[in-house]
Amino acid sequence: MNKNSNTYTFIYASVMVILVAAALALVSDSLKAKQQRNVDIDKMTQILTSVKVASDMSTAEAKYAEVITAAYAVNAKGEKTITDAKQTFAIDMAKEMAKPVEERNLPVYEATVEGSKKYIIPLYGAGLWGPIWGYVSLEGDANTIFAASFSHKGETPGLGAEITTSNFQTPFTGKQIFRDGQFRSIAVMKAGVKSETQDQVDAISGGTITSKGVEAMLYDCLSVYEAFLKTIKED
Amino acid sequence: MLVNPISKNNPVIVLVLGICSALAVTAQLKPALVMGLSVTVVVAFANVIISLLRNTIPARIRIIVQLVVVAALVIIVEQFLKAYAYEVWGQLSVYIGLIITNCILMGRLEAFALGNRPFDSFLDGIGNGLGYTLILVIIAFFRELLGSGKLFGFQVIPDCLYEAGYVNNGLMIMPPMALIVVGCIIWVHRSINKDLQEK
Amino acid sequence: MEALNLFIKSIFIDNMVFAYFLGMCSYLAVSKTVKTSVGLGIAVTFVLLITVPVNYLLDTYVLKEGALVWLLGEDAASIDLSFLSFILFIALIASMTQIVEMVVERFTPALYAQLGIFLPLIAVNCAILGASLFMQQRAFPNVGHATVYGLGSGLGWMVAIVTLAAVREHLKYNKIPAPLKGLGITFILVGLMSMAFMGFMGIKL
Repeated sequence: MNKNSNTYTFIYASVMVILVAAALALVSDSLKAKQQRNVDIDKMTQILTSVKVASDMSTAEAKYAEVITAAYAVNAKGEKTITDAKQTFAIDMAKEMAKPVEERNLPVYEATVEGSKKYIIPLYGAGLWGPIWGYVSLEGDANTIFAASFSHKGETPGLGAEITTSNFQTPFTGKQIFRDGQFRSIAVMKAGVKSETQDQVDAISGGTITSKGVEAMLYDCLSVYEAFLKTIKED
Repeated sequence: MLVNPISKNNPVIVLVLGICSALAVTAQLKPALVMGLSVTVVVAFANVIISLLRNTIPARIRIIVQLVVVAALVIIVEQFLKAYAYEVWGQLSVYIGLIITNCILMGRLEAFALGNRPFDSFLDGIGNGLGYTLILVIIAFFRELLGSGKLFGFQVIPDCLYEAGYVNNGLMIMPPMALIVVGCIIWVHRSINKDLQEK
Repeated sequence: MEALNLFIKSIFIDNMVFAYFLGMCSYLAVSKTVKTSVGLGIAVTFVLLITVPVNYLLDTYVLKEGALVWLLGEDAASIDLSFLSFILFIALIASMTQIVEMVVERFTPALYAQLGIFLPLIAVNCAILGASLFMQQRAFPNVGHATVYGLGSGLGWMVAIVTLAAVREHLKYNKIPAPLKGLGITFILVGLMSMAFMGFMGIKL
């Protein structure tokens, strides 16, 4: 057959495309379970970081089982909507945040660390270049922050990406999200500027938009839990 | 065939191929090594596949066929990294995908695999991949050592040195120093191999 | 306003060459004279301006998890083809450069005479694929942002190559140690330029 004929070229290209697509689909399908497990373990590591429990890929699952005592979801009125821990873990914050407030399932993880109960709340928002997310853990008083951890996908290294470092995260410890019984969230302010109405932490110099993104994310994600947090306080 | 690309015909510092990734992933040794090995795997197998097909490929769509083979191999490597080396996969991010446009690949496919037998092409691919890996590891060694005082994530500079006032050079992890380190490697390499010097 | 912000950032702060080392091969090979680098810069910008938004549409309406809902109905919500993105992006880039080449040749022969030799090179320029992959990673909200990002990145690349060429033209008259000549000094030079560009980092928009 003539190698330069149109038919040959066309058949060649078609056969190649079909073979390649089949091979790729096979590989992707057979590795999917393993990849999903990695994604889950990564999420567990982040949740554990937010209650100051260090873990890595090999220890995360065991530690998660030990530290996290319950996981459930509530709605904006503070009523439980999902009680199953597995279902709660599978909630995709990106999708929940896109829904109207009343329809959102808001995940809550309960952890026992240093002998007392903490509540972990997931966060999701936008940085300069793309999504940023994280977890913040509250003391049993549903007001004082025990610790926070943040992650990002594509913030500028050395600037916005600094939100993942302890320099940025540690100051959150001890800050309060309610003041005089009012929900205030936490402000992320340039060093030296004082907020009258809110507890605050220092922003990243040069990473202004990412810092503002963290501040907005804290407000947006925590404010919908207000009703739920008040019910804990009353208990 | 296997040894030549490691120094005399090194793809990175002599032929100037595949620079992008060489610079971007070398802030630490571990991602640099994984990147180097990924490229080695891809270039070796792409060479073999193209060499096996070399007598059947229609001339008009040659480049597209090569791109498809390379892209498919890169996707397979990416899927494996995501499944078995998740943390490194996260660090390499978009640069895994950029292996596709790594000029080493297209360069070797065009220059070697299209005209040689599969086994020779395989060796050529391994040799070029290792030459690339070697440079990556050298750059990453200096950048991680001077930039964070670590090698493979383990601290190697003793604490007493830090107490005596030594500080990590943060600039080493930033982009500019990667370029300057490569410049210095070329300098050393060409001082030894005088015939490579430009006039 | 947000788009303007993105535009400036992609030119200066997240510069393709100085911050992410993308498109280095042709950057080093073609930057010997200002004239050819302007030509290549325009060609890169042109192709980026087209491929980034087109790949954005491809990603949003075909590849992403649940992206096929508009075509196949709710049943398709769990289809995730993103593992195919590399291969489709590169195929699209290769065919786009081919089309651009043909269109330019047909309608503006003068431009073709200048850009013609560069266009085939561009399919394997990592800046082009890189921009599409960054676009996917950064999850831009709409196609407008993706277009602005493509244009900004292209112009950033052009700024980088033209300035380097300008410096290299003068380098000829300097005394440089023999082993450093050519490639070696160019790397160091780009390193210094990249350091200068780091100065843009603190910029507030």
